[in-house]
Amino acid sequence: MSESDMAITKPEMMKSYIWLETADGSIQQVEQEVAMFCPMICQEILQKGVGSSKNHAISLPQRVNPAMLSLIFDYCRFHQLPGRSNKERKIYDEKFIRMDTKRLCELTSAADSLQLKPLVDLTSRALARIIEGKTPEEIREIFHLPDDLTEEEKLEPLKNTMDDPRIRLLNRLYAKKRKELKDREKLKSIEVEEHVDERSVDDLCSFINGRDPKVVKPSKSKKKNKKRKEPKNGISNGTCEASKKDSHNLDSKPQSAEVVDKTASSLGDVSNLLSMEDDIFTPKTEFEDGYIDDEIDPALKEMLDREVEDFARRLNSSWVLSIGQERQPVHFSINGNGNTRRLTGSAAGHK
Amino acid sequence: MGESTDFISDLPQSIIENILTRLSIRDAIRTSVLSSKWRYKWSTLTDLVFDEKCVSPSNDRSVVETSLVRFITGVLLLHQGPIHKFQLSTSFLQCRPDVDQWLLFLSRNGIKELVLELGEGEFRVPSCLFSCLKLTRLDLCHCEFDPPRYFKGFSYLKSLNLHQILVAPEVIESLISGCPLLEFLSLSYFDSLVLSISAPNLMYLSLDGEFKDIFLENTPKLVAISVSMYMHEDVMDFEQSSDYSLVKFLGGVPLLEKLVGYIYFTKYLSIGDDPGRLPITYIHLKTIELYQVSFEDANEVLVLLRLVTHSPNLKDLKVSASPIQLFPLEEEGFDLFDREYFDYKLPRLETVKMTDVSGIRNELEFIRFLLGTSPVLETIIVTSSLSDKDAKMDMVVELLRYPRISPRAQFIFLQD
Repeated sequence: MSESDMAITKPEMMKSYIWLETADGSIQQVEQEVAMFCPMICQEILQKGVGSSKNHAISLPQRVNPAMLSLIFDYCRFHQLPGRSNKERKIYDEKFIRMDTKRLCELTSAADSLQLKPLVDLTSRALARIIEGKTPEEIREIFHLPDDLTEEEKLEPLKNTMDDPRIRLLNRLYAKKRKELKDREKLKSIEVEEHVDERSVDDLCSFINGRDPKVVKPSKSKKKNKKRKEPKNGISNGTCEASKKDSHNLDSKPQSAEVVDKTASSLGDVSNLLSMEDDIFTPKTEFEDGYIDDEIDPALKEMLDREVEDFARRLNSSWVLSIGQERQPVHFSINGNGNTRRLTGSAAGHK
Repeated sequence: MGESTDFISDLPQSIIENILTRLSIRDAIRTSVLSSKWRYKWSTLTDLVFDEKCVSPSNDRSVVETSLVRFITGVLLLHQGPIHKFQLSTSFLQCRPDVDQWLLFLSRNGIKELVLELGEGEFRVPSCLFSCLKLTRLDLCHCEFDPPRYFKGFSYLKSLNLHQILVAPEVIESLISGCPLLEFLSLSYFDSLVLSISAPNLMYLSLDGEFKDIFLENTPKLVAISVSMYMHEDVMDFEQSSDYSLVKFLGGVPLLEKLVGYIYFTKYLSIGDDPGRLPITYIHLKTIELYQVSFEDANEVLVLLRLVTHSPNLKDLKVSASPIQLFPLEEEGFDLFDREYFDYKLPRLETVKMTDVSGIRNELEFIRFLLGTSPVLETIIVTSSLSDKDAKMDMVVELLRYPRISPRAQFIFLQD
């Protein structure tokens, strides 16, 4: 309070002003201590020495328009005074952010480009409060968002209850997507296989380990498998590219191919919750097993032993307690013909 | 036709994440159905906080459990990029293989803050946790903690909170020593723990449990200590040690600013042979709160006096006098107070609160001591556990009689 009193009595002597130019060309001046509250402006002044005259006004980023600038300066003018209590500041802040949502967004953007973090946090909090608890329709209404997702796409994100009708619908969607992707692959003239369930573990591991697929143990590779290696790689690569455009990572080999994609390119946008839940278990452990044969130092070996032990223990304990049809008991192999192979066995298969 | 373009979707991702972080994880993920631009905005959030409110409530526990597991697994799968904070606090999940899987996933995605508060059960922390070497914060509750031999500690860990953890005591000690940057340590719900704490950067210590013996071996930077010490029935064990516990525990904390002790803390400190003066003055100690101080035990009163007289900048003192006696003691003489204590001054003491005062000699003498040594004392609040009105009146009269060297000192008597 006393500072502003002093300012009234000795105006010209006390204040110095900073000149600022917004992207639209208009130039403003503001008291120095207010402007210095913004880190970006502060930096410009100190490092480049601009701002002291009209001709050398500081150019502000594009996201700051004159209206927002004056709002921001109101904020700075209040907060840069050290004498204010925390309670006063809170009360001011609550009143300050009462504005329509569009202005709030503009203000956030402007504050961010001036690096004024306290104001960004304040406006973000306000925006979060607006979004919180509202239905998507309400949120779209408030922020004028286009409703441009397909109905199927809207269904994908996490649901708490997977009712049967939904599962059926999803399965239908997957089939549809599979078909789409297949058509796309055909355009790229890559062979596509229909069913993969006899995909052997060794093929998968060898692919993961990056070895030439043809070097896989002959006892495991039937003619069928050999023929499949080329297209297998091709498909994986194909889906890698395809998925960049398309949000769905599904292809004709839902189980293993997707997993391979995951390990190969760590794409996050798989929406196939059901089958993925089972799949992540098998391949990841296979992935680790692939290293067990190599020369590794004892500490790492012990760590891997423990992980295997953990996994075995887990499997022996409470899988029975798992609920629902979605979670089937883990298969050690991805073979569709159902014969399980022990982990050590598949690791041995690499030798 | 409608209107303007949307004014939020094109804000920088850092702002969007700032906003989404302030929503519950469920609301944040629901933004993915807003529009095509919003589909994956949530998926790079680095802080994920889960509890049973993420899923629809249900009377059937197992339904909640399954849907929560599915929810979390789904989130982790759809997530992109590093995950810095993962918090799961729910009693609905106990020992489930899924938790192991999540921890494995997190260990490969740069986890820095891990908070795992599960329901009671025997969840054994998987070995992948010990390879999360970037951890800065670890909170575990209701788990079994058994690190492998090669585990040396988390070299970046700043905050460790273990609550009701099944773990070997030497493991805790080596864990603490293996985390050189540790600043905050909280151990609660332990049985018969004997612990020697060596943590050169430790600033905040909170202990709650049945500790047999604690030695703060190397904790020079401690600023705040809070201890709830439950005691064994066999108090005999305690009598055997000859080192003065007060010195063992509080002898090496020169920067201490706040000390809080519950249950048997003062009794614990009083064990051992009193060497006379303390080797240390607590020049930063401003707040002392000691509960369940047994004023009938002269040793405990001595501990209290020592602490108070060695804290020249003490500002707030709170003492709760309700005695939890393991076995009743003869009320020992109050000649403690006739010694040199009145030569001390408590130059900064402003507020005193004495609760559960039952009017025994030592309590009254202690208050007399405070009144006679604190020149800037402002308020002294006294609550009494006496039910007999006359006894209470006598006590009040006695207290009001005592000379006060602070002209502003005021008594406030409150009903319990």
